[in-house]
Amino acid sequence: MIKREKMTRKFSILGLVLLGCLLTVSLILLPGSAQARNIKVGVIDCYSGPAAVYGIDALNGFKLALSEINKKGVLGKKIEWTKRDTKFKVDLALNMAKELVMREDVDVIVGTINSGAAMAVSEAIAKKEKVPFITWISKSERITGEKGHRYVFSAGENTAMAGKAGGVALSKKPYVKYWIAGDDYEYGHAIANAAWRNLKAKKPDVKLIGESWWKPGEPDLTPYITAILAAKPDAVIFCTGGRSMTNIMKAVKATGMAKKIPIWIHTATDHAVLKPLGAGAPEGVMGTMDYHFYYPDIKANRDFVKKFRAAYGQAPGFPAFHGYITAYFIAEAYKKAGSVDKEKFVDALEGMKIASPVGEIEMRVCDHQVVLPMYLGVTKKAVGKNFVMSTDIVTLTGDQVMPTCDEIKKARGK
Amino acid sequence: MRVLSKDFFNLRSLGPIIALLVVLVILPSIIPRFYIYILAVIFMTALLAMSLNMVVGHGGLFQFHHGAFYGVGAYTAALMLTKTSLPMWLGFVAGPFMAAFVGLLIGMFCVRLTKLYFGMLQISLGSLVWAIAFRWYSFTGGDDGIHGIPLPSLISSTKGAYYFGLILLILCVTVIYLIFKSPFGATLQAIRDNPERCEAIGINVRRHQLIAIVIATFFAGVAGVLFVVVEGSVFPDLLFWVFSLELFIMCLLGGWFTFAGPILGAAIMISLRTFVGIYTEYWTLILGIILILLIFFLPEGVWGYLLEKFGFQRKKLLEKEPDP
Amino acid sequence: MESGYTITFAALGSQFLVGLSRAMILFIVSSGMSLVLGVLRVPNVAHGSLYMIGAFAAFSISSLFGGGSTGFWLALVFAPLVVALISFVAERSLFRHLYEREHLMLLLFTFALMLILGDLVKMFWGADYRSIMAPEMFQGAVPIFGSPFPKYNLFLLGVGPLVAVLLWLFITKTKIGKISRAAAVDMEMVGAIGINVSWVFAFAFVLGCLLAGLGGALVSPTVSITLGMDHDIIMEAFLIVAIGGLGNMWGALVGSLIFGLTQSFGVLFWPQFAIVFPYAAVVIVLTWRPKGILKSVW
Repeated sequence: MIKREKMTRKFSILGLVLLGCLLTVSLILLPGSAQARNIKVGVIDCYSGPAAVYGIDALNGFKLALSEINKKGVLGKKIEWTKRDTKFKVDLALNMAKELVMREDVDVIVGTINSGAAMAVSEAIAKKEKVPFITWISKSERITGEKGHRYVFSAGENTAMAGKAGGVALSKKPYVKYWIAGDDYEYGHAIANAAWRNLKAKKPDVKLIGESWWKPGEPDLTPYITAILAAKPDAVIFCTGGRSMTNIMKAVKATGMAKKIPIWIHTATDHAVLKPLGAGAPEGVMGTMDYHFYYPDIKANRDFVKKFRAAYGQAPGFPAFHGYITAYFIAEAYKKAGSVDKEKFVDALEGMKIASPVGEIEMRVCDHQVVLPMYLGVTKKAVGKNFVMSTDIVTLTGDQVMPTCDEIKKARGK
Repeated sequence: MRVLSKDFFNLRSLGPIIALLVVLVILPSIIPRFYIYILAVIFMTALLAMSLNMVVGHGGLFQFHHGAFYGVGAYTAALMLTKTSLPMWLGFVAGPFMAAFVGLLIGMFCVRLTKLYFGMLQISLGSLVWAIAFRWYSFTGGDDGIHGIPLPSLISSTKGAYYFGLILLILCVTVIYLIFKSPFGATLQAIRDNPERCEAIGINVRRHQLIAIVIATFFAGVAGVLFVVVEGSVFPDLLFWVFSLELFIMCLLGGWFTFAGPILGAAIMISLRTFVGIYTEYWTLILGIILILLIFFLPEGVWGYLLEKFGFQRKKLLEKEPDP
Repeated sequence: MESGYTITFAALGSQFLVGLSRAMILFIVSSGMSLVLGVLRVPNVAHGSLYMIGAFAAFSISSLFGGGSTGFWLALVFAPLVVALISFVAERSLFRHLYEREHLMLLLFTFALMLILGDLVKMFWGADYRSIMAPEMFQGAVPIFGSPFPKYNLFLLGVGPLVAVLLWLFITKTKIGKISRAAAVDMEMVGAIGINVSWVFAFAFVLGCLLAGLGGALVSPTVSITLGMDHDIIMEAFLIVAIGGLGNMWGALVGSLIFGLTQSFGVLFWPQFAIVFPYAAVVIVLTWRPKGILKSVW
């Protein structure tokens, strides 16, 4: 009995010792700051799982821009960055964003492809801790729309813009009976709603004869396509993203659907989707995109692509473009602000205009959303190349595809 | 195995435990803010793992989808705070009760089955709950979740959340311990070790298991409320089966036949992913390797190992379980 | 939103065939899991990772041979063998030392293996989306019931039963197959008559993983090969095995058919809620028959 009591005490003490060790280790791990420090940017994004391809591309664009910026420096300092892998999980994104703000003491946070994570970070870190947060590729319109606030910015396109582009484009076509199908999550539904709202507004006689929704990443989409073909709609709107894009393109090709029914898919003309398919990608699919490495064919874009290729051995995708402009927005905002101060940075970034690979772009004052044009095109096999690309491109300018500031005010007023 | 946990709260061990509590109370005034936050996350996860271990370690049930109840608790609190104007504490109370209610519903289906079948049915039912949270945009916010839940700064500031979590953890662990030591707890462990014999001597096995599930899911709901307080967000990841599996792993890692093991398991998992994640994006690889090392060298779990190392007579800790 | 179309007999027929071909992939993957579960009594959480490796290996092998038809056929043969080799190494070096341990330790091990393999795939193949083409003869579609049916799915309809028959012959006619079947029922007995149980386990584990790899290689022409494929398939395979009857090969077939068909008909009748069908099917089946549809070997 006595022996056992001794043990009990022993292991309780052990618990204390363990906790002590944990603390000591933690304190040792504290970064030694307080010296004349550089500007620090914290990157949270997904570098694992199916979305990693976008996260890595965005980071590459961002790094490329920083290497150019740091040659001259900003306010006599360099911009340095540190990244955390969120694995597409919201709780991890929160953990890591807090770590970046509280432990690394970063000046700005940028990231992530996951809209849920972007919104969580926007509320819990940007709004509460008053740290500027710039999302670069998460596409929910709610980030800068309904849920927008002083400390959150978006340097990417969003579902409202994409949907409006699709709706505007389709309203010029003669189709009446539509079918909508897509990934059963926020992104898919948001694009569908925005596209349908704008289409219906421009062309009131359109009818929706059915919808189908599959779980994101559903491997075989053939059952859905055959069901849609059986209903014989005039045109189909697919609202998919990421890896489902490849799956839907393969199913469209295998069933020969594109030859029978007109299809519009946002990001169907994305090179990241079309490249792995090679010549096996379907032709004749309408798609919208916010960036192509081959369009617009202007000097600024050609230079960007050349530099990117030299650095990473491949053409930049749309995430790289957004990462690139994000870095320039940050650098220019600090130059304008004149000091490394979070409030001054936000003031400077509002309404900021910078030169970009697609021409001059602006960070809109009313909703902190970057104004970007959209490119509507049709997939077609490229002459002399082994892949399919966007052709007959029509540019929809920013004011054509963006929700107006009044609409944003209304959404936020609710 | 019961021997190991018997003395967790006896008079002699009270001293060190009080010392530990004092340290935990004064800690936030010494350490930087991020560590206070991480400790709050650990408290929450520890409570959750502890509640899971009530049914896994003590009850021998394959509770594969415990996260579903945690999510229900969190969502209930979050929805009441954002969609209704009811007082805040009502949301906090409603969370655990709602979780226990869902636990009862799902449990009634599951206790008819045993072992892996139990686990599979629970994953399916839990995934239905997940699908509701994921799909019902107008109500739950869909896959984006609900963010920026309004909370008074008394509990939502980093320190506030820490103390709130600490108090809840102490309260719940005490209650769980009392249950564990009660006749009910003893019966539950007897059922785990030999369900047939218990059945034969007239114990209603299923009813005991069902009650255990309801109690465990109640505490999962408490952990869910704590999550809302610490993070101010809810999202469907909380109810996804991958997270539930991670919880299961925390119990095994800490030592699922011990009382305090899950706390340690949770602390290890959270610390690993936070601090290894700072240095490399390949932290799951490192986590996997550490897990394998633990399986080979510390089969009783970390806490179980420590207990044994410090002289507890090994009472056939890991005698082979009767086949599932 | 309004809806205005009718479901025809032809649509039903073509949905049936599509569901059937999806069921074939599910069967190949879940029969492997069922085999491991039956003999080793452990749900192999890493099964999905091996499926993913199968798909990535198929990509590498087929691009090694120029991505044409030859490449595809070679990939179909060698990708599963690569997976089998990996699982053999993992089994002999680590897994086998755990057979004497508590069963949940085996589960913990396969979980760790899943974490490690997931990151290794990322290190080895990177994060880019990959894709391979079906061989020339299986590209495009043929009209069946008036709607286009992909030729590759016809091929899958042939492969599924072939694998089922081969597996059945292997398990009932060969000695090692018979032993592992016996081991699934009574392990002590098999050990008692002087058979090296450890090697029986190894055999079942490697064969199960080989089937995962084969499933991955077969599915690769129809999907994008990406990280995260492991998580998509693993839960489906688990549930299929559970409703079919743990460890029962034919149960895996029945379960796969239920899954594939409820999904494809669900898409036709109630497309907005397709996401919940598989889970609902499991709940109904397990409520009706708590031990799965067919007899479990346990």
